[in-house]
Amino acid sequence: MKVSQIAGFLGSGKTTAVMKIAEGLVNKGCRIAIVVNDVGEISIDSKFIEANGLEAREISGGCICCQIAGSFAETLAKLHEGFNPDIVIVEPSGVAIPWGLKRAAEYSEAKADMVIEHAPVITLVDAVRIDMLMRAVRRLVETQIREADICFVNKVDVATPEAITKTEELIRSINPRAEIAHPSSITGEGLEIVYDAIMNRTSPRYDDAVEEEMLRKEYAKGV
Amino acid sequence: MNHIERDMAALSDAEADRLPTYPIACGVNRKLLGDNVTYSMWCKDPKIFANGFIAGQKYFDFDFAIGLMDLSVMAGDLGAHVRMDDENTPFVDKHIVHSLEDYEKLEVPDIRKGRSHVIVEGTRLFNEKLKNEVICAAFLEGPLLALTQTAGAERVFMDMFTDPSAVHAGLRTMVEFDRQMVEAFSETGVAGLVWDYLWGNYSCLGDEEYNEFEGCDKYAGMLNKLTADSGMALCIHNCADLPHLDTQVKKFKPVIYSMAYYPLIPDSPSAGEVIDKGYADNCLIAGNIDPQMFIRAKTEKISKVTSDLCQEVKTALCRRGLKSRYCIASGCEVPPDRATKLDNIKAVVDTVKRDGVLEGC
Repeated sequence: MKVSQIAGFLGSGKTTAVMKIAEGLVNKGCRIAIVVNDVGEISIDSKFIEANGLEAREISGGCICCQIAGSFAETLAKLHEGFNPDIVIVEPSGVAIPWGLKRAAEYSEAKADMVIEHAPVITLVDAVRIDMLMRAVRRLVETQIREADICFVNKVDVATPEAITKTEELIRSINPRAEIAHPSSITGEGLEIVYDAIMNRTSPRYDDAVEEEMLRKEYAKGV
Repeated sequence: MNHIERDMAALSDAEADRLPTYPIACGVNRKLLGDNVTYSMWCKDPKIFANGFIAGQKYFDFDFAIGLMDLSVMAGDLGAHVRMDDENTPFVDKHIVHSLEDYEKLEVPDIRKGRSHVIVEGTRLFNEKLKNEVICAAFLEGPLLALTQTAGAERVFMDMFTDPSAVHAGLRTMVEFDRQMVEAFSETGVAGLVWDYLWGNYSCLGDEEYNEFEGCDKYAGMLNKLTADSGMALCIHNCADLPHLDTQVKKFKPVIYSMAYYPLIPDSPSAGEVIDKGYADNCLIAGNIDPQMFIRAKTEKISKVTSDLCQEVKTALCRRGLKSRYCIASGCEVPPDRATKLDNIKAVVDTVKRDGVLEGC
């Protein structure tokens, strides 16, 4: 089962993006489940869920990955057993750390007979509010950009060209290896890149990356 | 050495027979009380809560006991809705702060009721039974953690910037809640109190914001002093990836500091690095086996990881001229999950007994 996380801070347009991406992937024949955070705050459109044959679950909590990991893993295991989606799109809290969420997702392998793959981590960066976010929650924004595979510069239809350029420069300064895309969650324009990334590409597993890192450190000590 | 002798030696960096160990096994201990004991039963009944720790001590032979329940105790008693899972950690799924005015409306609950009562009374019960065997400590959520659990972390983080006075109003209520809990815990007879100051994390807050909102002088600072003045040793747990070690270890001066390690996060400090940088000079550092290994790893694997950690710690202690000031622990709570392998907890303790032996440098 593949897990796709769409990260970003509160108000960055995650829910709209998750819904649009889910709809697009369903139209491409994928069986999709979504797991969203803080449902009370954002209210999922149940008609949308029903109309698109999606399965939705809620998970709350902050960046306390070890505290919510068990419930999140249980949610994924139940989704696998009851709905068997091809892809689970996860909208984590804006204070969640992408590597922590990967670790928690892999935890579900202890609860169901499955192997977790990760789609490239997508972080939404709000081009309209970037200055304010960098003043208010700079550390969290930097962490989410640093751990992204793809940064999705959002709200480009209302942001000024200067704000978009500034956002791109910021992303490059924090994470030069991240791909930058500008799809619109409202019109769906440019989302093909995102569908392709989620369906056809993977991001490293936490377990494998830790093993590699520990080996690297072991080797460095030996040398 | 018995457990308390070993603990005391490690706390004062005296010679000890081996490193102490305490995988933070709390809710998972209920599994030793029978298959029918669910998490919600364990966390709502002081006797079952205490019996879990007593059974865990008998079965695993730990060097400490810490009365951690979960991080939704205070928020739940303040009125937030807690999703209770029979086989897992519960969590807040409906926050109660929806506007800036709501921070002002928060009120300290009656701590003689709810899960606040369960954790205080349960701590008193297990301390009575175990205090002559191991050092026992209570566990309490710090004010900023309790507020983010109650109001939602994203909301609090934004409000810190847009309307800090509202956040401070909420924090003042949490501090009063904590103050009452400290008083209650001090009457249980525990030797220490472990504070969870989770947001001391450079991935989330810089020094300036952390200092302001954890209240390193006025909130946490006052509560730390109150802890000591109430006769309990100050201990801190923080499972952050990039902990504020200078503030939480050097400034707060806890006697025990429990921390995690995230090898993939650049600059997340390993056990050896923490010792090398002097944080164990005056504080017993505890860490840092990945808690998820208790579920997912084979017993041989977690034994190997524990053995490697013992070696890393012993080498670093020698390099720093220290004798015993590190406790082999899990970086965060051992998941209280139905799938957690009790054999893996036992394997950590048994490996430390074998490979944590201190033979001098």
